[in-house]
Amino acid sequence: MKVLILGATGHVGSRLVTHLNRQGYETIAASRGRLNTNIPGRITLDSLNLEALTHYLKGVDAVVNCVAGDKHSIGKGADILVQAAIVAGKPKIIHLSTMSVYGGHEGNITESHAFDPTYGWYAAAKCEAETYMQKYAAAGGQVISFRPGCVHGPGSHLWVSRPANLLRTYRLGDLGDAGDGWSNLVHVDDVVRAIHVGLKISKKAGEALFYNLAAPDSPRWNQYLFDLANGIDATPIKRISRLQLKLDSKILSPAIKIAQILCRKARRDASWLPEPLPPSLSRLFEQHIFLNAEKFSNEYDFTYMSYAQSLQESISWYNDIKY
Amino acid sequence: MIKNISEIPSDTQLEADVCIIGSGAAGLAVALSLAGRGLKIILLESGTEVFSKKTQKLYAGELADEKLHSPPDKYRHRRFGGSTAIWGGRCMPFDPIDFKQRDYIPQSGWPITHADLAPYFPVANRLLEAGEYAYDADTVFGINKPMFQGFASDILMTNNMERFSCPTNVGSRYRQRLSLADDIQVILGANCTGIRLNTTADHVDHLDVASLDGKKMAVKAKQIVVATGGIEVARLLLASNDICKTGIGNQQDLVGRYYQCHIAGNLGKLTILGPTSNVRHGYEVSAEGIYCRRRLSLTEETQQKIKAGNMVARLHFPKIVDPSHKVGVLSGLFLAKNFISYEYGKRLKDGQASLSTYLKHFSNIILDPIDTFRFLYHWLTKRTLAKRKFPSVILSNKSNQFTLEIHSEQYPNPDSRITLIDECDALGMPRVKVDWRYLPADIESVRRSLDVFVEEFRKSGVGNFEFDASKLEEDLTRFGAYGGHHIGTARMGKDPETSVVDANCKVHHVDNLYIASSAVFPTSGQANPTLTIAALSLRLADHLAQKMQAPCQSKHVVI
Repeated sequence: MKVLILGATGHVGSRLVTHLNRQGYETIAASRGRLNTNIPGRITLDSLNLEALTHYLKGVDAVVNCVAGDKHSIGKGADILVQAAIVAGKPKIIHLSTMSVYGGHEGNITESHAFDPTYGWYAAAKCEAETYMQKYAAAGGQVISFRPGCVHGPGSHLWVSRPANLLRTYRLGDLGDAGDGWSNLVHVDDVVRAIHVGLKISKKAGEALFYNLAAPDSPRWNQYLFDLANGIDATPIKRISRLQLKLDSKILSPAIKIAQILCRKARRDASWLPEPLPPSLSRLFEQHIFLNAEKFSNEYDFTYMSYAQSLQESISWYNDIKY
Repeated sequence: MIKNISEIPSDTQLEADVCIIGSGAAGLAVALSLAGRGLKIILLESGTEVFSKKTQKLYAGELADEKLHSPPDKYRHRRFGGSTAIWGGRCMPFDPIDFKQRDYIPQSGWPITHADLAPYFPVANRLLEAGEYAYDADTVFGINKPMFQGFASDILMTNNMERFSCPTNVGSRYRQRLSLADDIQVILGANCTGIRLNTTADHVDHLDVASLDGKKMAVKAKQIVVATGGIEVARLLLASNDICKTGIGNQQDLVGRYYQCHIAGNLGKLTILGPTSNVRHGYEVSAEGIYCRRRLSLTEETQQKIKAGNMVARLHFPKIVDPSHKVGVLSGLFLAKNFISYEYGKRLKDGQASLSTYLKHFSNIILDPIDTFRFLYHWLTKRTLAKRKFPSVILSNKSNQFTLEIHSEQYPNPDSRITLIDECDALGMPRVKVDWRYLPADIESVRRSLDVFVEEFRKSGVGNFEFDASKLEEDLTRFGAYGGHHIGTARMGKDPETSVVDANCKVHHVDNLYIASSAVFPTSGQANPTLTIAALSLRLADHLAQKMQAPCQSKHVVI
């Protein structure tokens, strides 16, 4: 089976390429080429380029869409991918979506839950991308969308090194009721394995499949933050008040963000700047969304990595890059 | 779901699998633990999310002796989250010996053991935000941080530890979980005014519910859990006297009797030799950021040998009221006592102080400015502005001299009791009279323990402890019963002749009435009751789920 991977230098994409190669798949690892990488045989491909994309899609059985980026690359990118795939003879699409499509909803969320594109640009773009995937299915293509929770594990800046850096500087800690939401963590290798399972699924064309992905034993955020702090020697942790979180995310962090952009524009090093803590992050910590991922594990007998193991891998990775 | 009784039409009869009365530490532990198991749960709370004087006044009652006990509307809040809105946050479990029958303490012995509660203590500990369930300071902080450098004794332990909750108000902390739970209906402003039995008096038919604006309704539930404080449990059982004329569960005249608090006082003089760095008298912080503190306690075997109740002692400072301590911070506290809430200021008020006492305190502050400033800064940043609050005043140790703050078990006494009086509250419920009493045995028990302290410090060579034996009773009863710990009014036991509820907290002879409260504790132990209340409530929830054949929780709602 020949598979094209878009976004192959990203967190999920890079580990997916390695995994599939090891499993004997023939892969084409494609990226826009913004990131330096040592992935062998990587090609540079702008997924917004309809013609080039169609060319590559013609030669493969399946394509995995791991493209991240801004609103345009996510939304418009999905539109172009679907158009190209239809022209190229409808290879199977595995689309990496996100739990953000459920927006601010709380409670026990299964795949049939309504979308909420009003919850910020990211949710809007990801919702838009999913509608194109449904169009693909309607046009007779095979498509499987995965909606993972927070993808952590080795290499995860968002859910490992970012919170770890914030814990070390006492900007995160025990958040009390502001950290009572479920973390819905899923190890990057579980996402990779799920995609692998997806490649093997043969459903009749014209049907779109959607699966939430989250380890069922993921704790609430407070617990994860403490376990992480404990693993990286950032204890004793501090109780962080709502006021501090608010001041940090609404005043300090926007200033850091601006400074980062200015540094980048001036081609200066921005790594000395502290980690921003965006309002979307503090909003997530208190969102009581329990991403119910039973459907995928039940249908395909899929077992997630245990929380203890995934935590340990995340901690080891962080401690390795830090020291 | 959380709603107010005003949203429910008058004279409605609500139905549920389980109805819980009270939303404090006990009621919320039961509700959260029962969530997600396919049951329909109603939680009735008298108050709302804010404090209301009018609601609080429902607690008011009489005292037999004002010097011995605080008014029944103090140390409690009648609101969502219950008294966790004002508690001090001190957590420690009851010890194994507390559950045992001890021949030297009449009426002692629980129908359950420490092992029966052991699976629930860790969850209760997290629920109250006191961190990991670990109460051995030598394990948590290592033996390199001893209470006294070089102190060794086989019978006087220094590794016993207390942990502090934020203090967490369980109402605000778990509000969102409750409002999202589709199997829980929290009804605010809803007072249970009567438990109505069927005519054969072996089953609760329904609960009468009323609001302060005159709304009345009923709740019919398969299982009832009374999760109010120790005084209100007795009041509700005694006042529900339409079928059983002496009140529910009161065939043996036990409800309201054996009322216990704790025996507490600040006394003696402990002098430690050598540098002040030899003593760790304050708080340590655990990895989870929890304030922890070592206490002195006697081993189980020693307690049995000297026939004394359970007791702990913390290192404390000189008596605040006496300005001769010359410590600016203590004088500041003394002068500020009228600005501190009743519950926390009570033990600062000791008789009438003369003008010259006030002046001496004032001069202490002026003459000790650096320490006073340092203390105020610490208090402001670590307590006033902090969410996890520094638990109590800890002064820098300048002299290696301490007094001991004693917290001791009270012997069960049938004459110490809660009764109803003729006067009624705004809902027509009879008010209570609190007649708290202690026994000579309570004082003698402390005396025997302190004699061991004296001996063990002498033998250790690290210091010296002495106390004025002739003033012991005065020192231990100066402020009366330790406030807020209301224990024993519906005691737990195997025998219906000598107890009100059984080992599962079910009222004897009534098949669906349960009590989740310190009211069921047969004895008081050395520990503040909240953690054990929460653990016992979690155990009750499991029992109810099993009884109703509800499955285990699909996801961990409790922690």
